[in-house]
Parts: sequence; structure tokens; C-alpha cells
Amino acid sequence: MDIGVLRRDGRTDPFFDGTASDRLVIKRCEACGLWFAPDASGCPECGEEDLGWAEASGAATLVTWTVLPKDPPAFLALVELAEGPWLHARLDGVARGDLREGLPLRVTFEHPAEGESYILFRP
Amino acid sequence: MGIPRGTSIVGLGMTELGKVYGRSPRRLAADAVRLAARDAGLALGDLDGLLVSHGMGGSPGIELAGTLGLRDLRLLSQVNAFGATAGAMVSYAAAAVLSGTATAVACVFADAPLKPKQSAGSAYNRSAREWYGFGGMTAALGLRSVNSFYALAAQRHMARYGTTSEQLGAIAVSTRAWASRNPLAQMRDPITLEDHQNSRWVSEPLHLLDCCLVSNGAIAVIVTGDDRARDLARPPVHLWGWGQGHPGHRKERGSDFGLTTGAVSSGATAMKMAGITPADVDVCELYDCYTYTVLVSLEDYGFCAKGEGGAFAASGALGPGGSLPTNTGGGQLSAYYMWGMTPLSEAVIQARGDGGERQAPSNDVILVSGNGGILDHHSTLIVSPHRKGA
Repeated sequence: MDIGVLRRDGRTDPFFDGTASDRLVIKRCEACGLWFAPDASGCPECGEEDLGWAEASGAATLVTWTVLPKDPPAFLALVELAEGPWLHARLDGVARGDLREGLPLRVTFEHPAEGESYILFRP
Repeated sequence: MGIPRGTSIVGLGMTELGKVYGRSPRRLAADAVRLAARDAGLALGDLDGLLVSHGMGGSPGIELAGTLGLRDLRLLSQVNAFGATAGAMVSYAAAAVLSGTATAVACVFADAPLKPKQSAGSAYNRSAREWYGFGGMTAALGLRSVNSFYALAAQRHMARYGTTSEQLGAIAVSTRAWASRNPLAQMRDPITLEDHQNSRWVSEPLHLLDCCLVSNGAIAVIVTGDDRARDLARPPVHLWGWGQGHPGHRKERGSDFGLTTGAVSSGATAMKMAGITPADVDVCELYDCYTYTVLVSLEDYGFCAKGEGGAFAASGALGPGGSLPTNTGGGQLSAYYMWGMTPLSEAVIQARGDGGERQAPSNDVILVSGNGGILDHHSTLIVSPHRKGA
């Protein structure tokens, strides 16, 4: 799929270091152990201001979804990582009939010719 | 004059709304404030408070006071709680009047996202060739329209409670039926459920007819104390209660995103202040950026049980002749999109009995909602033609 060119922003670079080597690296609060999306800016649970980075398992479940009327249709979603946080995501290899709350998903990694590697989720 | 015990909306000013070009948001806002003052029978110089809010364009701000030539104001602020702002502004104005901070406060919203020869849909769209960071990645992958974020919320409600697209469509149809009776509405041709189902997908499960309009224009209201309101040009619209709710749903396991909204606490706060229950409400003017927003708000206010909003809407309760007339002017879906000023302006019209062909049969208690972000922020007003407790 053509998504344009993805560049780093200086704030979520460890995530893209991860995607380049097929690892899902997200934020984690070292103080209380909660996991967060890569663009989280602090721990709302314990107040820790500096979150660390850690490798997630890549397992997820489907929370909810929407389909954009493109050709082919774009399946977009909120997914819940096994570690707890939700990510806005794009699904790959699904049809409308597959979609249900709790559908098990796994992260996959795409390596375009130009720009940063990115993630999709597949059943 | 002592400090009043109650407050009222005494003026309503609405510019032309919709494809209105050639005036900046600041100019539109100034025009709306002038119209509201004239409607109330007040001179601009009688205003000693001004609260200003704007749409995505970032204007107007508090410089509007200078544009209007207002002097010696005792209250002047910009307010922003996204779509919950109109209700918030009115509550702050009322609180200012009740505390003696100010005596006559104008609250105004203006926006002009539409440009000539541009489609409504593209007014808020983002697209780019290059994207930056993790947030840029999700946008690049296709999640970049507010329509899609609301679609995620609506789909979750559908999956959890069995809500259907046809039930959302019932809201589009009843809202348009009201709009067909409102000369101020942009979209007045009646629609059927079939029209709704056949309208194109914007972002499944939302059809085009599940989504609000985009409008240019401005609306202002003026809040004063009841003591003063008696002597003005129009019958006062009494403020019985107000509330806000900002649930702070985190995007993580266990979140109620899409299932419940800030209307739960906002409604409870406002109804407690007003001394009413949902059974006392005659008319609802609900923030309807999407049909789904109406459905989930009705549940969260307690007009039906959680998960039964779809059946409630499909029962015909919301339309002309129904048990709970809702969005009697055609709302944001069919009349005009002035953020929280859309439901508020229609509430003032209904409370005054000025609804003409669309006047609800009973208007003693009117509930007004505001909703902002992706169901992140909510405000509620309870208004009435009668003094509270009278």
C-alpha cells in the first residue's frame, strides 16, 4: 500500500528503531510497570514523567474498527495489545466478515523502499 | 441593584448560516453579538461581559471586544472545551452574574471553515506526502479524519449492544423531518431510511447522512440576572441547571470509549441543579455531530437504558409527534453546524415558543447538550420559559 513517506519526529524514534528490525517497541512506566502507546508522554497512573521503552509481545485483540471506502477498502482499528494499551492501527488480510470484538491479531512489519518501517495487524 | 438569584438568556443573535462568504469569523462574531443585543433590547454599552469561542480556524479571540468597541468590561475571556464550549460559556456567564462579577454577558461562537468552490468534506481534511512520528504513521495509514474516530466509537457500540445502521438512520430521518419545518435549515428536503442507507459510506459504519454539515456563521446569546431580564424586550429563557463531564477515557484495557460519554456525569449534575429527572424533560436539543452522538447521549442522560438507544430512536420518539421531540430545528445534521450553539440556539427558540411549524407541543423543560473531542468533553444546560421553582 502507498502511504506516502514516513519520517521520524525525534520523540518516537525507538519505536522506529524497533520496526526496522521487526520488533514492537512501545512505552513503559518503569515505576509502576504499565505499558503505553509510543506517543504517550507520561504515566497518568503514578505520575512518572519519564517513560521508558520496552519490547511488547506483538499479540493483540481487536477492540473496534472502521472501513474506509477505498479500492481496496482500508480496514482501520483500535487494537488492544496483550500488555494493555490500545493503538490506532491498520488491519491487513481481513474481510468484513472476520471483524468482531476480541479477534486475535498479531503485529506485522512493513519495510517500504523509502521512509521508516511501519506496523500492521493481521489475524 | 442586588445580586440576582437566578439567570436567564435574554438575547439570541444569529448571522446568516451556511455558505456565507466574505466575512471573517471575527466580523461574523461581532455581527452576532450586535444582533443578540438588539434582540434583547440592550445597547452594546450595556454589556459588561464577553466570552468568546472559535472553531478550528483559531479566531476570534478576546480582540473581539475591541472590534465591538466594548469598554470597561468586567469579564472577558476566550473559552474552549471544543464542542462542549457553548454550554460551558453560558454556565460561566451565569456564575459571573450570580457572583456579581458582571451583569450582562454575551457568549459568542463564530467559524468560517467553508471556502467558495470547496467541498464541505475537504474543509477539515488533512493529507500529505510526508508524515512524522508515530502519530504520523497512524494518519498515513488512513486514520486521520474525525469521521473515522467517531466511526470507531459507533462501531464499538454496535458490536457491544447490537445497535444497527438503520437505527442510526432513524435519527437522520427524524432530524430532517424537523429541519423541513425550519426556514433556517440548510437541508430541508425530507429523507427516508432508504435514502440514509443508500448514501455513500464516509467511514463504515457511518453513511454520509450520519454526518453533520459544515457551516460558516456566528451565533451569540446574552445572559443576565432574572431581576433585569423581566424588563427586557423578549421573554427570558431561565437557566435551571448546568453541568460538564470529561470522562478521561484512557486508550487502554477496560476503557468505555464509544460505550459511555461525559453526558452521564454532566447530565446528573445539571439535572440535580435544576431539580428534575429525565422524565421531566419535554424537549432535547442534543449535539449531533453524528447520528451516533445523539443515540449515545440519550442513553447516558437516562432517557432509555444503556444499549437501548437504537431501539428508542427507531420507535419514532424523537421526531415530530414523538414523545421526546429532539433536535427540533434540524440540528447539526440538517440545519446548521455552529458547534454547541446549534442546540443552544434552537433551545432558546423553543423556550420562547418561536418555533413556528416546528414548535414542540410542550416546552417547559428543555435539555441542551454539547459534545467535544471524540466524545471526550460534554456540557449540559437545562432551560425553561419559567422561573425555577415557580
